[in-house]
Amino acid sequence: MSLKNFSELFGDLDSINSTNNKIEVLKRYFLSNEPIDNSWAIYLLTGKSNKRFISGRYLKNLFSQIYEYPQWIIDTCYLKVGDSAEVITLLLKTKTSSRNKKLSNISLNELLSKTIPELSKLNEDEKNLQIKNIWETLPEDNHLIFNKILTGTFRVGVSIGLVTKSISKLINIDEEIISHRLMGNFKPSIDSYEFLINKNINLEELNSKPFPFLLANNFEDKLFKHSINDFQFEWKYDGIRMQLIKRSGNVSLWTRGQELVNESFPELVNKISYIKDDFVLDGELLVWNFKEQIAFDFSFLQKRINRKSPTRSIQINYPIIFIAYDLLEINGRDIREIKLENRRIELEKNHSKWQNKTKNNITDIFRICDLIYPKDWSDALTFKEKSRENNTEGLMIKNKMSPYTSGRKKGIWWKYKVDPMQLDAVLIYAKGGSGRRAGLYTDYSFALWKDQELIKFASAYSGLTNIEIKELDKWIRKNTIEKFGPVRSLKPEMVFEISFEKIQISKRHKSGIAVRFPRITKWRKDKKVNDADSLKDAFELMKKIS
Amino acid sequence: MRTKQEDLIRYKDGNLYCELADIWIDPSKPVKRALITHAHFDHFTFGCEEYLSTNETAILLKERVGDNIKIKTFDYGEEFKINGINISFHPSGHILGSSQIRFIFAEEKWLISGDFKLQKDETCKQYEIVKTDYLISECTFGLPIFKWDETNKIANDISKWITKSPEKTSLLFCYSLGKAQRLLNEIRKTNFKGNIYSHGSIYKMNNCYEELGINIKNTIKFENKKKLDELKGSLILLPPSLSKGSYLKNFKNIQTAFASGWMSIRALRKRSGYDKGFAISDHADWDGILEVVKKSEAKNVFFHHGDSEALSKYLVEKESINVLSLGK
Repeated sequence: MSLKNFSELFGDLDSINSTNNKIEVLKRYFLSNEPIDNSWAIYLLTGKSNKRFISGRYLKNLFSQIYEYPQWIIDTCYLKVGDSAEVITLLLKTKTSSRNKKLSNISLNELLSKTIPELSKLNEDEKNLQIKNIWETLPEDNHLIFNKILTGTFRVGVSIGLVTKSISKLINIDEEIISHRLMGNFKPSIDSYEFLINKNINLEELNSKPFPFLLANNFEDKLFKHSINDFQFEWKYDGIRMQLIKRSGNVSLWTRGQELVNESFPELVNKISYIKDDFVLDGELLVWNFKEQIAFDFSFLQKRINRKSPTRSIQINYPIIFIAYDLLEINGRDIREIKLENRRIELEKNHSKWQNKTKNNITDIFRICDLIYPKDWSDALTFKEKSRENNTEGLMIKNKMSPYTSGRKKGIWWKYKVDPMQLDAVLIYAKGGSGRRAGLYTDYSFALWKDQELIKFASAYSGLTNIEIKELDKWIRKNTIEKFGPVRSLKPEMVFEISFEKIQISKRHKSGIAVRFPRITKWRKDKKVNDADSLKDAFELMKKIS
Repeated sequence: MRTKQEDLIRYKDGNLYCELADIWIDPSKPVKRALITHAHFDHFTFGCEEYLSTNETAILLKERVGDNIKIKTFDYGEEFKINGINISFHPSGHILGSSQIRFIFAEEKWLISGDFKLQKDETCKQYEIVKTDYLISECTFGLPIFKWDETNKIANDISKWITKSPEKTSLLFCYSLGKAQRLLNEIRKTNFKGNIYSHGSIYKMNNCYEELGINIKNTIKFENKKKLDELKGSLILLPPSLSKGSYLKNFKNIQTAFASGWMSIRALRKRSGYDKGFAISDHADWDGILEVVKKSEAKNVFFHHGDSEALSKYLVEKESINVLSLGK
């Protein structure tokens, strides 16, 4: 089987938006290709290999050197395309005259297990010559895949979940089982693929399965009519929702997106394995600030989410904690039907037992969530407003009499989030985006008034729809005052509502303030520049909150 | 009056203008006399006293905007004189009737390329190499990342795209004049043997092509009331303006694609909102522009219609060709 099939798969996946169609395309691919190529395809599609063999810059320099092509023109092209591997692929099309007439049809397996790894063993001259040789003998349709793998930028709109679903549909076995099989050190081989599509399920796989998650509804005013004592109150943590499972000695950590993430959090898995009992817990994973005893921002957690096998220093610098808020199974007994009040008692009882009886200290990494006890609803609202101080998103309100059901059922759990903070600011700079936003101005800077001057206070990238981005891009091009490299300064005319999560004093910024997670929440076309907020407004907002 | 040698044709109000002949080329506002390179709407405006074009362009234009325009027509290569300037139209290969326009004055030749392509296209006359001293060329795709595939490869890709999803109706969006007829002609040569429908605006142009002796075979006029099941597995050509808004709600189970040179860039493809993009263009690619510049033997080159910075710098540095800006 040639690499061509995989290139075609890439092209198909890249041009399909519907999940179901993507699954069909993947199934068809798996059915019509060799197991060894399938296992490599899975390896690539699930992002298990994003090793960078050479940098994008190196690739561009090499092309420039081989074909005596001016570097500046490659850079100009890059601005349009936004991806080094793709620029070189497109430029290679103009070099057909130097192409070898005898093209080599290699397989995906050959490319990934031989051709590319062997490149790393060569010295620079040999390596350059070999890349040139591959460019000139590989069929044109395969250049993009080759260049992307080489530069570690192979990505297509497929998640690990989608691959899992496709395999699950292919052999008619639950997704959770496939997830479990895909976990760990997936090494592409015929055996690993055969194992993946094995129709016989073993006991360990069955034991790892999580329960369907119970999801919360948004707060409804009608709750105010109920007695405050009907509910259990907790802080709403801004972490990753997870089920922590320990059954017959094996620990599995599942996200709500059906992803098994043991590899990303080995320190937790290790500590939990010392506990004697078996159980299923529902809770939140956070990066914890032990000094202040509050969670760090979600941005800290992002440093850990997609990183498999984190180094020691990452484990130390981004210490995680699992905060359990529900117990669903204990020593093989499913207690989801028991009312919350009683599950909480079981949770507290068992947790204190584990704390005292487990050889290794587990408290630093595994706690149960504190409860809040508001006197009445107005007291509850006060708690909610305080949630910013401990970096939570608001309150969770849970019906004490409720069982643990699956999905978003009414009348069981509610989330009551604090409103984000907002200021209306003026767009003053724009910068070109990269990747799929290449060629568009998508990185924006916003300013607030200080007397008659506009002072930059935040940069934001997200929040506009694609249509708005295009419209704004057109406006930016027509209303540029000056260009500095990729940045344009703009006529101060457009006002946007900027939302953020936290505001604090900062000496590093000219504005004197720093905001967390700024994002655009509204294009205020109804507002004139003079209607935008001032730095004074920002400082008042800060006072009001602290 | 003409002051400098470089000023026979210059920019005036954003349009190409020859003062000596008091004539405009594809003006965007009403003027006395307008030369029209081809019948696309971004090269035409209402309200000019007199239009001059090739026969084919005149017929296409009248079909699109009505008979109520005064238009003088010429054959390719036929010279006519205005104020001592010899003017003639030459095939530019862009669409049926499209032309380059040559001016000869005081033994100096000026050539306006119009929109052009070098690729073979059976629905219009092949681009003719015209020698000139001054060349004003379009450069819509003036970067080396633009390198068109052979037309039959794109046609086969389209055919494969349709037949891979037999349960769907495939909607291919393209400009109704020129691109549509070229695609119809090419797709008919592929393995796709299903029905091909043309939207009314395209069908009208097909008929015009037929009248002018270009055979546009086997396409059915698309009527909105068609039973949806009949459309399964077939191809419908539609103008891009219909891709937005509620028109697509008339269909169920569709896949969409856009045929345009810009679709060669992945980021633009993704952003376009279409499922798929086919990179096929009626403009010249980078190599095409370079070839025309060289073969025209022009000593002075001007670019318009596109970002010409990189192209100009390249020609000056690598080919030692004199690239200038048009006078204003």
